[in-house]
Amino acid sequence: MSVFTDKFSTTLPPPTRKSERWKYSPIAKLLNHEIAISTESAQGFNSWPESLLPNPVLNLDAYLVVFKNGIFEPTLSDLPVSDGVDCVPFSKMDQSGSLEFSNGYHHKEWIGELNETYRQDGLSLHVHRNVKVDRPIVIHHLTDGINVASFPKHLIKVDEGGELNVVIWSSATDRSSGMYNGLLEASIGPNAMFSLEKVCNEGGKVFHFSHEYIVQERDSNLKMHTFTIKGDWVRNELEIISRGKGTDSVFNGAYLPLGTEHIDNHTTMDHTSSDCTSSELYRGIMYGKSTGVFNGKVFVRPDAQKTNAFQQNTNIVSDRGSAINTKPELEIYADDVKCAHGCTVGQFDLDALFYLKSRGIDEKAAKALLVEAFLADVLSSVSSTELSTEIMSLYRERHGW
Amino acid sequence: MLKINNLCAKVGDNEILKGLNLEVKPGELHAIMGPNGSGKSTLAAVLSGRDSFEVTDGSVDLDGIDLLDLEASDRAREGVFLAFQYPIEIPGVSNLNFMKAALNGKRSHQGLEPIKAKDFLAKVKECSSLVELDGQLRDRSVNEGFSGGEKKRNEIFQMAMLEPKLAILDETDSGLDIDALRVVSKGVNEMRSSDRSFIVITHYQRLLEHIIPDFVHVLSNGKIVKSGGKELALELEEKGYDWLKEPSHDTSNA
Repeated sequence: MSVFTDKFSTTLPPPTRKSERWKYSPIAKLLNHEIAISTESAQGFNSWPESLLPNPVLNLDAYLVVFKNGIFEPTLSDLPVSDGVDCVPFSKMDQSGSLEFSNGYHHKEWIGELNETYRQDGLSLHVHRNVKVDRPIVIHHLTDGINVASFPKHLIKVDEGGELNVVIWSSATDRSSGMYNGLLEASIGPNAMFSLEKVCNEGGKVFHFSHEYIVQERDSNLKMHTFTIKGDWVRNELEIISRGKGTDSVFNGAYLPLGTEHIDNHTTMDHTSSDCTSSELYRGIMYGKSTGVFNGKVFVRPDAQKTNAFQQNTNIVSDRGSAINTKPELEIYADDVKCAHGCTVGQFDLDALFYLKSRGIDEKAAKALLVEAFLADVLSSVSSTELSTEIMSLYRERHGW
Repeated sequence: MLKINNLCAKVGDNEILKGLNLEVKPGELHAIMGPNGSGKSTLAAVLSGRDSFEVTDGSVDLDGIDLLDLEASDRAREGVFLAFQYPIEIPGVSNLNFMKAALNGKRSHQGLEPIKAKDFLAKVKECSSLVELDGQLRDRSVNEGFSGGEKKRNEIFQMAMLEPKLAILDETDSGLDIDALRVVSKGVNEMRSSDRSFIVITHYQRLLEHIIPDFVHVLSNGKIVKSGGKELALELEEKGYDWLKEPSHDTSNA
């Protein structure tokens, strides 16, 4: 028993290093923390920190759904109100209208069971047939406090032919500590388009766990990005199930941890139908004494003939003392498929650096040029330039380029 | 303009330059020839500030500035340009952004405002026509997927953009076909002026038929062992380098 599990009891035990999935991301430190769920109610601007804005991407014309320590903030939010889009937090709706589906994650993983048992709130978002939501929906999670836990879960359903862009942005003030445990389930109907950008920009010392589970029906299109700008300890889990013919899934990610930060990306792409494509590109630069994990699984099931799956994880280990554990895992049970994967770990290209410097570009600017080039392939597919510009400028600001 | 005095440099425990002296006056073009392994490329690398070499003795003075005391980027801002023997490919960095960053780096060093977009594009147009570098190559990532000749033309394009005080051409002729050699040489010749000096490093005499040097030096075993006018290059072509090997080197082998 630990001070954590005394408070949050579950039937599944917390994972240990003996489990392959958690071998490089031990959570022992978390279990020593006496963490509690916030008992506050929504307070709007009164308790909102001055250092942050409710809308994290100021230049982006978007709907806004704000949660502080897991609690919905109606006065800071701007929800879409139009025919064909049902977008309401669970706490504000009667049971009858809410979406319900479950992938059973809470039976498989301790993290999932914690969320299921202690869930606070979340968004129910339903886009009806052939409806195109006119602006992105930004879901902003703020952690502000010592040893606070938040347990949100969002459910998203895009019906046939619908279009939706969601940004999930998590931030935390510098004084904050505790745990963020956020889940998302999405179902993308036939020929529907869904893009999801996930950005973690958390100060303080928060254990950040997130899990997205996305099911794609026939001919649907998914674009997903996972950016870790800042976060003391971050684990992103992503599962994509391609369940109909002709789906396309693009999922990219970037991480540039500093100091002693830890960043873990676990992804699963499950091809169960034929004629589908998937493309995965994760790029990271490890600075200081940071540690990282990349684990990318791709399943190609027996019926998934003519699958074209691509996966790449490229890492630069910038400083002595930083480390990345990277592992591609492909399981292919169909015989007429095209699958490519590669993981690399390297260093900054010193020849390229010297070439730039020899033309009068100073070391800092030269490194910035190389890093921006390195990240360009990940950023270029982001759904809006406002968002990609903001992400790049946050990286820039943080790293002092 | 440039005074190199008793320059000694090593990589690891391997001494490569062993007391090299050279003076280059404004407007002069000096060719440095020599057998493989004589230290030609090391000289280029040391002058441009590559830090894989350790300078153990000597000095390099450019118009009163101690060059060896400067970072590579600051040397470039002071007007040193190295045309690489093997230009580097940098995927994702566009040739134009690269040149803009370089030019503005130099301008900020001179206390000037960043160049205006219109002026920049006009300059790009002028300099790229000098070496017949077409628009597509300019807009692509730096050297990525360029042929050998395109890479060398891109080096001369960059030189024209940056207008250096001292240009060092490290075996710019190697691997070029005759057309590319002609284009590159034409670019260099058009850049020659009374206040710009060149050090042209080459293994072969052929380049010097297109770019006529004021002086030719032979580098052997880390030192300049013979200097002369342009006719020296022809003599070397005929006789090879063996007759010039450093005397001390010969006696030690005797």
